[in-house]
Amino acid sequence: MSTDEPRAGPSTPGTKRSRWDVDDMPSEQPQKPVAKKRLKSKPPPDSQSPASVPSSAHVSRQASMERRPAHSIYVPPRTFHPPIVPSRSVYCYERLNSIEEGSYGVVFRARDKETGDIVALKKLKLEEEKHGFPITALREINALMSCKHENVVGIREVVVGDTLTQVFIVMDFIEHDLKTLLTVMPAPFLQSEVKTLMLQLLSAVAFCHERWILHRDLKTSNLLMNNRGTIKVADFGLARRYGDPVGVGGLTQLVVTLWYRAPEILLGATTYSTAVDMWSVGCIFAELLLKEPLFQAKGEIELISMIFKLLGPPTSTTWPEYQTLPLAKTVNLPAPHPSQLRQKFPYITTAGVDLLSQLLTYDPEQRITAEEALKHPYFSESPYPKHPDLFGSFPSAAAGEKRQKPYRSPPAPARAPDYKLLTEFDMP
Amino acid sequence: MASVSLYPLASLEQIEKSPSREDGLSEGLEEDLRAFGCKLIHQAGVLLKQKQVAVATAQILFQRFWFVTSMKQFGIGDIGMGALYLASKLEECPIRMRDLINVYDLLLQRTAHTLAVQTTSPHKGEFKYAPMSYFGNTFYDLKDALVVAEMQILKRLGFQVHVVLPYGTLVNYLRVLGLTSREDVCSRAWGYLNDALQTPVYALYPVPTIVSAAILLTTRFLGIPLPSTPPNCWWELFDANWEDVWSVCGYIMRLYRPRPLEDQTRVLGMVSKKGVRQWLEDNPPSRST
Repeated sequence: MSTDEPRAGPSTPGTKRSRWDVDDMPSEQPQKPVAKKRLKSKPPPDSQSPASVPSSAHVSRQASMERRPAHSIYVPPRTFHPPIVPSRSVYCYERLNSIEEGSYGVVFRARDKETGDIVALKKLKLEEEKHGFPITALREINALMSCKHENVVGIREVVVGDTLTQVFIVMDFIEHDLKTLLTVMPAPFLQSEVKTLMLQLLSAVAFCHERWILHRDLKTSNLLMNNRGTIKVADFGLARRYGDPVGVGGLTQLVVTLWYRAPEILLGATTYSTAVDMWSVGCIFAELLLKEPLFQAKGEIELISMIFKLLGPPTSTTWPEYQTLPLAKTVNLPAPHPSQLRQKFPYITTAGVDLLSQLLTYDPEQRITAEEALKHPYFSESPYPKHPDLFGSFPSAAAGEKRQKPYRSPPAPARAPDYKLLTEFDMP
Repeated sequence: MASVSLYPLASLEQIEKSPSREDGLSEGLEEDLRAFGCKLIHQAGVLLKQKQVAVATAQILFQRFWFVTSMKQFGIGDIGMGALYLASKLEECPIRMRDLINVYDLLLQRTAHTLAVQTTSPHKGEFKYAPMSYFGNTFYDLKDALVVAEMQILKRLGFQVHVVLPYGTLVNYLRVLGLTSREDVCSRAWGYLNDALQTPVYALYPVPTIVSAAILLTTRFLGIPLPSTPPNCWWELFDANWEDVWSVCGYIMRLYRPRPLEDQTRVLGMVSKKGVRQWLEDNPPSRST
């Protein structure tokens, strides 16, 4: 391996660096300290030159990374790593109003006393924890921290109250959730708007899956939307890291709100994967088109029969593994009939129906992935996706601008930790 | 692995003045206590048959913790226990509180026994574990300490508990250097990475630097020449710079230096914060320096 090949790529700093310095020195003055800094072993913390870090640290980081050919993009300079910073106190925020309350805890709207930013504070329920800090909350925080994306709700920090049982996740405040919006909107989203929303959702889901995170509770009430036409995936309370193969003990079936639950979970699979999120995406797609949830079932049995009725019962070609699933024997299949998707959605194009049927595919192996769905022809045919800036704006219920009573959807499944320790006693 | 993951590293101020040193512990003693705390985590991990990824994660969280907290405030035993409990959840292989507490109880008893043999009663005989009593308070005391420790680690690390382990990087780098066929190289470098977990380096330097140090020590030990004269230095391939790599090597090699019995013994009595406070009383820091 020789390092003095001129075209040896970004991992050969020695030669590249000097050439780059010579090239750029006369034209771009402010970049020079950045290049210099990297050469030093330990730059003092104040050498973070203001020229290279203008306004938003995030953007400039990416920008200056691109300007650093000498460093591998996988190895950011030492100074880019955050320092070890303890949690701040919740009293750094001023409480405004509560947004919603769920099984996981309460969400408040609050103002950062220092910057004046409006944020959402999610208080974690930590009473009566027998196993220390709940693993589900850890997963949520870790998932949010590792999924920094335009269409994933941004986590700012985790703050603590006076006692050890008060922990709050600080997130960006987003005006709407898609479910409330769908109920108060006078007319459903236009095709062009649906495409934009779906592209955003799919890119967020693809991003999470790429980082080995399953969301496991995608639904319209967990999709937040701001007044600038951008949706953000929120509530990673059921999210977890997955592996290939899945770790010891498998995964729990107690995930995903019923209406959005994939058939393999309903039938008791413990080795499901990213495809469960894609089924939920399919349900959300249908809901955006219909302006109401696709499968409004009261129980699991009803849900299965609704799915079979709409899509036709699974066959040995559409779902080869069907018979091997734990609960398959307990379900009676209806008489074979073809999928009713076209009849249910008469107004969308053939490409639209095709995408929907690929998302609502029985066999998880054959179901489309987020990465593939992003390239689906549906998004490149007329009408084209609408630019987010052209979306209308609505009064925000969460900010208390207008109160509406949304219809009730069933709650997320109870958050039993999906390891077997719960059944064991922690007492002598 | 498409994303650049930015795990927290200690800032320059945190490195220069660690909270324990502010409280009067000497640099060497803090280093010894860090190493001993990590050995306890490692031993507990082995006894619990826990996965190495969880043990390594625990040790790295433990090392980070002492850049924001003094050993006068929390004991290395309690925090080690909390770190292992937390890391096991983070790595999706949770352990039972009771098992962890039993194992730590054994390790603490063994430490106390070794200390007694080496200081007060040299004829105490072999170590015999006395299981905690069914109605005693030992279990509940340790359980409370464990819950507090876990929460304190989370709080003081600002819930930034993302850890990147070095093993995958080592495999890649050895492949780049064409050294994967040498089994002795692989296992020795791997060993250095594991031993480095007893030092603060994972909270000080990015992974590529630490891995380069492990490779440097290995190739020097086995006498394998690699291009090392500027401008063709192999570590530059991995974006490491010489001073940092050399410093990490120093941290690792210091673990192997022969220690007088006195130094080996003094950490045994300082597993709890009580022990640290007692030591600080007996050895008041000289404020003049």
